[in-house]
Amino acid sequence: MHPLLAGRLRIVLYLVLWAGIGALLTGLSVLVAPRPVAHAAIFVGPLTLVYAFACLSAWWVCRSHPLGSAPPWRLGALLAGAALQSAGVFTVAAAGWAALLKSRAGIGPDRSGILRDLVVMFVAGFVLYAQSIVAHYLALAFESARAVERRLFESRLSAREAELKALRAQLNPHFLFNSLNSISALVGSDPEAARRMCHLLGDFLRTSLALGARARVPLGEELALAEHYLSVEQIRFGQRLAVERDVEVAAERCLVPPLLLQPLVENAVKHGVASRVEGGVVRIAARRRAGRLEVSVENPFDADAPARRGQGLGLENVRRRLEALDADSAGLQVSREEGRFRAALYLPALEAEDGDPATAGAPAEAPAPGSARRAVEEPRHEA
Amino acid sequence: MKPDAGTLRVVIVDDEAPARALLREYCEAHDDVAVVGECGNGFDAVKAISEKNPDLVLLDVQMPKLDGFEVLELLDRPPIVVFVTAYDEYALRAFEVHAVDYVLKPVGRERLDTAIERARERRRTAAPAPRPAALAAAARPPGEHLARVLVKDGPNVHVIPVARIDWIEAQDDYVGIHAEGRTHLKNRTLQDLAEGLDPARFVRVHRSYVLNVDRLARLEIQAKDSRVAILKDGKVLPVSRAGYARLRELM
Repeated sequence: MHPLLAGRLRIVLYLVLWAGIGALLTGLSVLVAPRPVAHAAIFVGPLTLVYAFACLSAWWVCRSHPLGSAPPWRLGALLAGAALQSAGVFTVAAAGWAALLKSRAGIGPDRSGILRDLVVMFVAGFVLYAQSIVAHYLALAFESARAVERRLFESRLSAREAELKALRAQLNPHFLFNSLNSISALVGSDPEAARRMCHLLGDFLRTSLALGARARVPLGEELALAEHYLSVEQIRFGQRLAVERDVEVAAERCLVPPLLLQPLVENAVKHGVASRVEGGVVRIAARRRAGRLEVSVENPFDADAPARRGQGLGLENVRRRLEALDADSAGLQVSREEGRFRAALYLPALEAEDGDPATAGAPAEAPAPGSARRAVEEPRHEA
Repeated sequence: MKPDAGTLRVVIVDDEAPARALLREYCEAHDDVAVVGECGNGFDAVKAISEKNPDLVLLDVQMPKLDGFEVLELLDRPPIVVFVTAYDEYALRAFEVHAVDYVLKPVGRERLDTAIERARERRRTAAPAPRPAALAAAARPPGEHLARVLVKDGPNVHVIPVARIDWIEAQDDYVGIHAEGRTHLKNRTLQDLAEGLDPARFVRVHRSYVLNVDRLARLEIQAKDSRVAILKDGKVLPVSRAGYARLRELM
């Protein structure tokens, strides 16, 4: 249904507009064929009322022929045709109504007066319908602009939501619960270790909040966060958790979205080392090759352990964030081989320029276009 | 107070040493509570609880090898259980296995004292033990099929991934699980075990037999209305009329 017919107020306003048009037409017909104004009004009134609704048909014409859907001349011819047709029907109806008024009520001008009336009606019918087409195109354009705006807003919102989810997941409550439990235990047996754990936990939380507030951070800071985390977990798991690190200095300077590495490291502890009686080594490696940064986290896992719920959710979020960043050259690769699980993230190697606001504690906004940074190309090293 | 009759004997099961130390400290503050064992994984827990037969187990849920619910499922006579975990999402399953309490980490002294008091109360009233079927149902996440079957063999535990099972046979109160040429006996009815298995893979072909359909080579008609299933390794299993209908529905 036509959107105008959906609201009572809109219909009333529309009819008030057409009452004005009707008055104008009445004046015109008195001018071309002199007669009492009341007689002209009886002739013009009903016709105008009917035409007011007939002109709404332009909505369907405009919707089925959006601007740009056909060459301008063709679209123009089509719309002119529609207006002519509409004006023609209007004129025929006016002729019928004039004849009826003349024969039944004796109201109306003579034959030549009626002809002049009909010419006025035809021209008015054409102009009014053309106006209606223009008004409808404007309304449709306005509506589609609003829809585009809404979609844009929604897509921004969903990207934001993914980021937020990442940040929320960052402060994993179970990690905190378990850590607090460990501290509580150590307070009795090893107060010094309890203090150390408090400091480590504090460092971890502070770093994690600070990183989350920025759009891009150097990988080195992400690695430092991972180390805080692993130090806390080492107190919980004792000998079972060992950490190895193999990070190129060149890689540490690269910029990455914050808290991308953390889910991989947590995964390695929770689903890897913690699932094995003998524990294992979490190995973090990072290198820069041919303009690409590769960061991998590797851990042993118990192949017999059933898949736990929630496994892979963190990785899925990392994958989505990387794809939102750059679907072509960023991504996450996961492999399981010989009891070892490996998650590797790839992204273009970017380095901060001096004074780059992205790394200076600016609030997280959608990343600025690459202009603020330069891709760092390196000669390819063969392993 | 006589030491044996009144003392609550406790086994602590948690894979983190600090968490075990904390529970031990809280327990040892009570004169009538004795910690008789500490375990860091599910296998050790099954062994220790079977051997020491404690009154109470303080049991973590997420552990290496076996989770807390799997440990309970493997015990012939499960003791009184208090779950101690950082996760609140297992509370419903804990209720189904008649745990007397569910304590969240970080654990406070008063909270654990309450749990110990409830365990004492439970011991006095000798509440009924949970049904084996409830234990079996709680040993897998709700809405999921069994990924592996656990079998206790003396002090040891065998883990059999369901893909390795060829067929299962009812033997009175036990089931014989045939996998890779070996037979494992499990203290469970065929009905209880079959309920946890994926119906798209395991079919009850007979009152006494459940078959992994991946192992089926062909069906043969033996006599009028009597069929047998020939497995890929040549083993022949009887197929009842209802079993045949179930197989046909699946194929």
